[in-house]
Amino acid sequence: MAEITIDGRNLEVADGLTSLVAAEKAGISIPHFCYHPALAPEGTCRMCVVDIEGAAKPEPSCSTVIRDGMKIETRSPRVVEARRNVLEFLLADHPIDCPICDKAGECRLQDYYRDYGFFSSDFHEQKKRRSKILKIGERLILDRERCILCTRCVRFLRDVTKTGEMGVFERGDNSEIGVADGVPVATAYSGNLVDLCPVGAITDAAFRFRTRTWFLDPKPSICPFCARGCRVDVDVHPGFARYPETGGILRVRPRPDATPAGPWICDVGRYAWIEIESRRARRIVWNKGAAEAVLSGDKVFSILGAKIRALSESGRTDRLTLVLHSGLTNEEWADVKAFRDGFNPRPKIRLADPPDDGGDDFLRTAERMPNRRGAAEAGCDLQPLDPGELREDTDILFVFAGIWGDIGDLERRLEVWRTIRTKALVSPVLTASDPLFDFVFPCAIPYEKSGSYIGFDGRRREFTAVRPAPEEAESEGEILRSLLAACGLGARTPGGS
Amino acid sequence: MKNAAIILWALIKGSLITARHFFTNLWFHFLRLIGIKKYRPGAVTIQYPEQTKPLPSRYRAAHRLTKRPDGKPRCVACLLCATVCPSECIIVEATEDPDPEVQKHASRFEIDLARCCFCGFCVEACPEDAIRMDTGRIDLAARSRADLVWDIDQLSRGRS
Amino acid sequence: MSETLVLLIKIVVVLAWFLVLALLLTWVERKQSAVMQDRIGANRARIFGLRMFGLFQPFADAIKMIFKEDFVPPFADKVLHTLAPFVSFFFVAVAVTTIPFGPTVRIGGTAIDLQVYDGSAGLLFLLAMLSLGVYGILLSGWSSRNRWGLIGGMRGAAQLISYEVGLGLSLVGLIMVYPSLRLSEIVAHQGALFLGFLPRWGVFLQPLGFLVFFITAIAETKRVPFDLPEGESEIIGFYAEYGGLKWGLFMLTDFMEIIVVAALATTLFFGGWQMPWLGPDGLNWPWGGHWKMASWVVVCLQIVSFQVKVAFFCWLQILIRWTYPRIRYDQLMDLGWKLLVPLGLLNILGTGLIMSLK
Repeated sequence: MAEITIDGRNLEVADGLTSLVAAEKAGISIPHFCYHPALAPEGTCRMCVVDIEGAAKPEPSCSTVIRDGMKIETRSPRVVEARRNVLEFLLADHPIDCPICDKAGECRLQDYYRDYGFFSSDFHEQKKRRSKILKIGERLILDRERCILCTRCVRFLRDVTKTGEMGVFERGDNSEIGVADGVPVATAYSGNLVDLCPVGAITDAAFRFRTRTWFLDPKPSICPFCARGCRVDVDVHPGFARYPETGGILRVRPRPDATPAGPWICDVGRYAWIEIESRRARRIVWNKGAAEAVLSGDKVFSILGAKIRALSESGRTDRLTLVLHSGLTNEEWADVKAFRDGFNPRPKIRLADPPDDGGDDFLRTAERMPNRRGAAEAGCDLQPLDPGELREDTDILFVFAGIWGDIGDLERRLEVWRTIRTKALVSPVLTASDPLFDFVFPCAIPYEKSGSYIGFDGRRREFTAVRPAPEEAESEGEILRSLLAACGLGARTPGGS
Repeated sequence: MKNAAIILWALIKGSLITARHFFTNLWFHFLRLIGIKKYRPGAVTIQYPEQTKPLPSRYRAAHRLTKRPDGKPRCVACLLCATVCPSECIIVEATEDPDPEVQKHASRFEIDLARCCFCGFCVEACPEDAIRMDTGRIDLAARSRADLVWDIDQLSRGRS
Repeated sequence: MSETLVLLIKIVVVLAWFLVLALLLTWVERKQSAVMQDRIGANRARIFGLRMFGLFQPFADAIKMIFKEDFVPPFADKVLHTLAPFVSFFFVAVAVTTIPFGPTVRIGGTAIDLQVYDGSAGLLFLLAMLSLGVYGILLSGWSSRNRWGLIGGMRGAAQLISYEVGLGLSLVGLIMVYPSLRLSEIVAHQGALFLGFLPRWGVFLQPLGFLVFFITAIAETKRVPFDLPEGESEIIGFYAEYGGLKWGLFMLTDFMEIIVVAALATTLFFGGWQMPWLGPDGLNWPWGGHWKMASWVVVCLQIVSFQVKVAFFCWLQILIRWTYPRIRYDQLMDLGWKLLVPLGLLNILGTGLIMSLK
């Protein structure tokens, strides 16, 4: 332990911390551009300078390790003047692009100019022109004029993903960030560069010009695209007043405590919602031959309930099969169990998860579903689905498709298909196999649910809905409860959804 | 009784004032009619659709989207006007502009003039001088609410 | 035969005069109020590009009212609801028949009174007709089956009946001075001179009587300082459930009442058709000159004199209507019962005293 004084406050901090971290632990924030808690300090921006007693000039706090008895001033006139000068130099070439910059509103340069700036610049030279819309990755756009050369992006690619696509080229005034030999950033974690960039130099093509950051309402959730269970913020636009269609999910970002490895998420977790949102199913559909009828939920549930009741009266509810996936929350698994136990003999419950891929050696796990452990613990003695077993064995089939609407190779087994009298699909998105089913229910995506997952590490992660589901869509658990109630064999049981 | 006399006198005095206005105005109406003293009207009112009162130069009338020298709208869809608008009557959607110097322009820019309170905050907030309230248009009646939602073309047309 | 014909012609002419003047008054009211308030007033109605200072406005109003829906509220008493405006209109129209427009003229040997009905109790008849007008108000308020309408009608009835007391009392002194109830005789009495140079007009003999008469008469027209029965801008009144032509009839009745009050004030207090110092053979100046005139010139001058006086009183009433604010209901009742009625009684007493002393 070391005893230090920051801004007149005596603190006792652990040895080996930098003075910036020590100050932050004491609740004193020091402005910085190049320092990032998950990256090694670089000390290039000089914004974090502080006065240290005994030092001849202000020292960068991000790379100054504390010593016992150190006295630090973070707001002395000399420090403020130094920061002002740093800002003046950074802004000497920085364009006043704020009206068209996606970073505006969460830009450190804007924040610090408000805190330390408000100067009239001594630079009267023409600002240097550089390339403004440079595509450096599938969804990354680099604006070199805005870049302040903090090298966070370079360090991330070098130290975290270890792919090293980017670097600083040229020297002195001509220094520029760029990709080597024009090879774009291809890592599966490229989206993190956008979050890392303290200014608007690297922006996200998927988010480009969609809205301004201050309209967004960040809602915490858990990424549902693999078993890692990264903590994310889902940025929801509430929509302009009286134009609700202008709202929606606009961005998914890692939270500062996203993973133990750092505030990173993979590009699947960051961008998968775009395709899912564009394919969302919003209406309950009843396929009658070629015709497609649109019915209210109550009506469809009463039709299906009557069919199940007919099975139940002849004691053949084992000919009812539920095909599920392990993307359901633990609370929904409780609903599944209640549904299964509501019948005698019990209906068959089968699990049809997409096959594991290799994952990668950083964040992505091999299993594609977020809650396989939760499913296993639910006590529904799940068995993987073998499509062949459905032949001549099932009268009513419920398929709960995963978030992508995939139902495995079920749809290709037509000889099985024809033997099943009633088929229903529950899917958050429209799929090519929709016409094969008699009933198609829309359901909520994981961001629209509240509940918990048990991730790859066996830890339980709870989350709440970032927004309500579309009007006719319900979560899988609610659908099961409605169905059970429609059968007249069990009341709706309270439970999480 | 004295009170009644005072009241009666006040009543007479009041009607003398209105009668004086009646006769002087009638006299000037008459002079104007026969062609003398045209500069002194008999009434202070304005015959509105034919005569209009010159608006003060800073009067906040209907909005106008200004244009660049090449004719494109100045607006870069920064949404500051929509942010500051207290009556939430502005909706802007942005899109990519082919010109890399411009990058961003509004694909949709609507002002619901039925909601607008003409506070002028949008003009104050605009960093590009892209919106002004200098059209001088104050005759903003319409037969339906939808007619009062001006889109980007109507707003760009300006003085019309 | 010829007497009936003459009577018919007289009725038609007087009614035409009455209605045209009432129609004109709607324009005058708009224009006069505008000029008083430094405005221009209705000037948009035009025929073939001709605006004529908005003189066509009454026609535009009439067309508008004709084409409005003739609406009777479903809960109203349909017969009475329709009858009420006609009752108002009828009694005012009948009242005007007693007004003498000019002296008796001789055309081809027949003497024709320029007056439709010269009853021996003409003044009483006139007062009776004006009093019956209250039925129109009460009926309209009652038959609308609307609480506010009914309350407005009750307010109107209370006001009119209260002020009829003052109105009647103010005229008693006059009847004492000109000992007749026949309006033609009252006018004839006012042709003489008083104190040698003043015409013997009622206003000079009965100044207090005139004051009381004029205030009560204005209150009888239910117009602005006393417009509590209706009070369009704030309080809902007896014709709240009326629209279109029936409402127009109420408005027309209003203007006709102005004319009746003006004609009555002229006839009773300002010499009627008498012109000062004008005798049947010409002008007799009080200082002793004499201008001889043909008798038809004299008659014309006298008829014009009557019209001018009526026009002045119409103007004065409109001036009053656009000058004063409405009084409160308690003030209205105070004024009527505590000031005008005692003043009328005082006037009778004083007149009697002076007459007995003479």
